Amino acid sequence: MCEKCGCGEGEGFNIHDPHHSTDHKSDQIQDHDHKHDHGHTHSHEHPHKLINLNVDILAGNNITAAMNRRFFEGRKVLCLNMVSSPGSGKTTILEKTIGHLTRTAKIYVIEGDQQTLLDAERIERAGAPAIQINTGSGCHLDAHMVESALKKLEIETNSLLFIENVGNLVCPAMFDLGENRRVVVMSVTEGEDKPLKYPYMFQTSHLCIINKSDLLPYVDFRIEEAMKHARSVNPDLEFISVSAKTSEGMNLWYDWILSQKVI
Amino acid sequence: MHELSLAAEVIKLVEKEAGLNHASAISEITIEVGNISGIEAEPFESALRILTEGTMLEKSSLNIVKIKARGNCLNCKSDFEMNFRMDTCPQCGAFPSEITGGNEFRVVSMLIED
Repeated sequence: MCEKCGCGEGEGFNIHDPHHSTDHKSDQIQDHDHKHDHGHTHSHEHPHKLINLNVDILAGNNITAAMNRRFFEGRKVLCLNMVSSPGSGKTTILEKTIGHLTRTAKIYVIEGDQQTLLDAERIERAGAPAIQINTGSGCHLDAHMVESALKKLEIETNSLLFIENVGNLVCPAMFDLGENRRVVVMSVTEGEDKPLKYPYMFQTSHLCIINKSDLLPYVDFRIEEAMKHARSVNPDLEFISVSAKTSEGMNLWYDWILSQKVI
Repeated sequence: MHELSLAAEVIKLVEKEAGLNHASAISEITIEVGNISGIEAEPFESALRILTEGTMLEKSSLNIVKIKARGNCLNCKSDFEMNFRMDTCPQCGAFPSEITGGNEFRVVSMLIED
């Protein structure tokens, strides 16, 4: 056998594919015709071997997300992944929610932003332990980042965990973090056609919070129209209209959270 | 933007497989990208080309196979090609349709050198 490239093992080669069934009939060896004496330098084409993988590129993320989900189940933690465009009011909603629900359940927050500790500091001031993940150039949180944050948070059983995702309606839609529910926040200062422009995010969410309802008299946003668009991409989506600033409608949000699980 | 981190994920994934197969280099990879998967094939390919520098994929040829989604109308049963997830049936205008394909985002195969 040629020691350099291993040719000569021929049928004995082993293809390892942990993500796939044991059917490797299509694995092939190409350019594998070496009739030469040994002891010379290799001037021939190196053999090429075709390896069939058929592996989902998001599989690594999805496996970690599944492990995170089992962690939440085991500890009876309700985990909500909050997604939105920048500036829709996620952090203000969380500050109010912590103030209101902190006597009902222990609350933790994982904050995702490209830079700064500002949001984590706001959350800590509101009274909940927070871990900030700075994604640097990254545009979303992934399941591995959440797993790392969970190791630091030391979450108690029967608690609530909010993940405030990076403000971005595109990329976070692709990444399952292991959350129990996904909550998309839009505000009345945005276009009511946003669900049509960013359908993936609305399609993968369970609840849509329409925030800044106190500004409705000053803008052209029609809630019914926004809901119609959102339902056209996700007929099962639930809606709650709130103003985190004036607390209007926030009780509906608190009730929704508590109805997801007995805390 | 997520195309960049997904390209990094691809490199990690195929380099691991290449290592398990004692490969010296990867000469070709084939990746399927569905047109409604949420991944744009062109920026993904650009990201992959940038990130492969200095990896086992440096000289690899990238074979990106684009897959078009097909809709099967729940109303009139006609079968049609979809450009967007929310496309209505071109025959009767109904929505939604049963979608087959188009969500693919996977490494199909790679050609390694011993």
